[in-house]
Amino acid sequence: MLLSVDNLDIHYGHAQVLHQASMSLTEGELVCVVGRNGAGKTTLLRAIGGFMKPSAGDIVFKGEPMSGLSLEQVAQKGIKYVYQDKRVFGDLTVRENLELAAYPTGESMDSAIEKLVAIHPKMKKLLDAKAKGLSGGERQILLIGRALVGDPQLLLIDEPTEGLAAIIIGEIVDILLKMKSKITMVVVEQNLATVARLADRIYVMKEGVMAREITQREIIENPSNYEEEL
Amino acid sequence: MFAKIEKNQALTLGLIAALFLVYAYTTSLPRITDFIIFCIFVMGFDLLYGHMGQLSFGHMLYLGAGAYGCGMFAYHVSPNPFVCILMGILTAAGLAALLGQVVVKTGGAAFALLNLALNEVGAYLVLSPMHRITGGEDGLSLFFQSYGFINFGDSVFRFYFCLAVLLLVAFLLLRLVRSPFGNLLKAIKEDEVRARFLGYNTYLYKYVTFIISGAVCGLAGALTSVNLAYCNTSLIAPTRNVEVIFSALIGGAGSVMGAVVGGTAYMTISNYLAAYIVRWEMFLGIALLFFAFYFRKGIWGYARRA
Amino acid sequence: MINLIQSLLYGLTIGGVLYIISVGLSLTFGAMGIVNFSHGLVYAVGAYAVYTVAKLLGAGYLLGLVAAIVVSIPLSYLIERLVIRRLYGQAIDYAIIATYAVLLIGADSLRWVYGASPLPISDPVGVLWTFGGLQMPAFRLIIIILSGLIFIGLNLFFKKTLVGKIVVAGLQDREAVRSLGIKVERHFAIVFVIGSALAALGGALYAPLSTLDPYMGFEILILCFAVVIVGGMGNLTGTTIAAFALGMVHSLTAVYIVSSAADAAVYVVMAAVLIFRPIEA
Repeated sequence: MLLSVDNLDIHYGHAQVLHQASMSLTEGELVCVVGRNGAGKTTLLRAIGGFMKPSAGDIVFKGEPMSGLSLEQVAQKGIKYVYQDKRVFGDLTVRENLELAAYPTGESMDSAIEKLVAIHPKMKKLLDAKAKGLSGGERQILLIGRALVGDPQLLLIDEPTEGLAAIIIGEIVDILLKMKSKITMVVVEQNLATVARLADRIYVMKEGVMAREITQREIIENPSNYEEEL
Repeated sequence: MFAKIEKNQALTLGLIAALFLVYAYTTSLPRITDFIIFCIFVMGFDLLYGHMGQLSFGHMLYLGAGAYGCGMFAYHVSPNPFVCILMGILTAAGLAALLGQVVVKTGGAAFALLNLALNEVGAYLVLSPMHRITGGEDGLSLFFQSYGFINFGDSVFRFYFCLAVLLLVAFLLLRLVRSPFGNLLKAIKEDEVRARFLGYNTYLYKYVTFIISGAVCGLAGALTSVNLAYCNTSLIAPTRNVEVIFSALIGGAGSVMGAVVGGTAYMTISNYLAAYIVRWEMFLGIALLFFAFYFRKGIWGYARRA
Repeated sequence: MINLIQSLLYGLTIGGVLYIISVGLSLTFGAMGIVNFSHGLVYAVGAYAVYTVAKLLGAGYLLGLVAAIVVSIPLSYLIERLVIRRLYGQAIDYAIIATYAVLLIGADSLRWVYGASPLPISDPVGVLWTFGGLQMPAFRLIIIILSGLIFIGLNLFFKKTLVGKIVVAGLQDREAVRSLGIKVERHFAIVFVIGSALAALGGALYAPLSTLDPYMGFEILILCFAVVIVGGMGNLTGTTIAAFALGMVHSLTAVYIVSSAADAAVYVVMAAVLIFRPIEA
């Protein structure tokens, strides 16, 4: 077991947004979390990433409790978060974005650049471009490449295809599939077709609760059963 | 016990009156009159800070506007004290209505600093370009007409008059903060975006509150002029803003009773203790740090919960 | 015409000093969301350090400049550790109150040691350059050149060094920097000390053009807040432009209207800018 989340409660002020959420991952898995807007998917992901403190419940990563650790500490334990809204450091170049990712992990710049170029060779030409000038897809790729620096064991990816054109979605999905054998991932995703291609297992969330777990097969065979829930 | 007192309006006002009477007759009437006027200033300031959630670092401007509005009218136009006080209030409220249009559109740091900058401009205008009517650095010596027992030259009358005004202001502010208007202010303080989302024109509410706050501070300024029988630039000095901020903080921001407690506590310290404290500003600074880090509820906030 | 050129040059001097002091203020504002009144204290301490070394010890102005910077480093480190760091993520009013308290404590300490009366420092260069009818103290030109060098130096710092890049990224998205595993507050602290050292340098440079008094930090600070607000909090380019623009406003008002109105004119410009671009933070 790489990660286990047990009975997690999260509050925003007085409102409880996550109720006793539980999930578990073994090494090498790609798990998708699906559900409507406001179902608590991103909240769950951010709690695992160390962005918010749960009011109850445990997060255990490689046998070690994560609750109480700061965001920086969680990152240094090997859990990296890939942002939803393409939050690259716009005033820095692509290379500098990688440089910041490499600094706390001690990885060399050459190897960091190699990782980005390996998932998308065209980035080689963009290394010295300001990140704010990149297209949406390029920014998403940079975020994924940046997260790979330092060889994390778990990637938390929030809606990687949102707002992107269909061709680029295909490219991103291919990238994630290529990474699949090497790294464990939790992906929050709305698009059922994408989920069907990616996921080993699928958690469905509803109103802050883990409603149930389904398989890739079920989605492929009976997509209409789930469209309503998303 | 304290929480119960605060819920009962008559009890709150009665307690304020009783405490000031005891305090005044055991110490000195003129001095406690100063305290009372200062408490009115703190109440006006705290309407913005404690109730609306915006810290102004320049409310000496409105105290000064009230003081000079009252003082200049007494000096140049008519010595009728009531008209003078009214003119002080109107000057401050008018200034707040003018500047508030810009100020309430800002928030947080910009709100605090814009008020400070405007306070600087006001202090400069009084000191230099307008010195012919404000008396410049020397200020104005004032005389007020007396009508029978209504004699502002008499310190006993001044004490009771100011106490009555304090009670009236406290009464009106208590009514205000417990009205639907006050509830909306609380909502704006907690989350302005949400209040706006619910369809309220939060600017309008903040604007009106800013004018009321300016008017109350102006009233305190006008009373200061009447009480001292002069007005000078120390009544508009930007460096004195810390006094009212400190008072609101030690009393407990966001409560009318807290403003009175804080104002009285500050004046007591600065009048009676300052003589024994060699390094006054150092003391004030350390006390500010203590309250800002460890005692944010303030005296009244603490008593109320205990 | 000569009058205009002269006042423009004076405006550059004031703009340069405002720039040197405001950079640190703007960074603390933008990076940590803290209004830092104690910056004015460090400025005053810089001026008093020059006074002590150059005038009391007679060791010369240059050594005084060095002393100003050297003293400001441990002082600002202490302020950061004891006060600023506790204010991260707190409501802005507590930041204002706590840092103002530091300013009060420091100003009173200065008064304790040096007394309350204004102290003069003479022009350390003492050379007056004249071109035609134009008269310009060499020291003012040195300030202008120095502020230009600091501008270039800071740009290199933010573009070329890792700490600089972390701060640039942190200004834009602090959480994202932390999520990479970087302790961003620690890097902000380094920049805080650099900004404070510049404030002390600003105080040391401006002292010969004015006089010293324990509360000198308060007045200049409000001018610098105007610079930061007009330039955009945490916006380094904006801060630079605003510093020189407001320096011009200050100088031109002093020459063409009346010198006592110069500060007020800057605040009026600040209010006008806020009318068109309100800041709600």
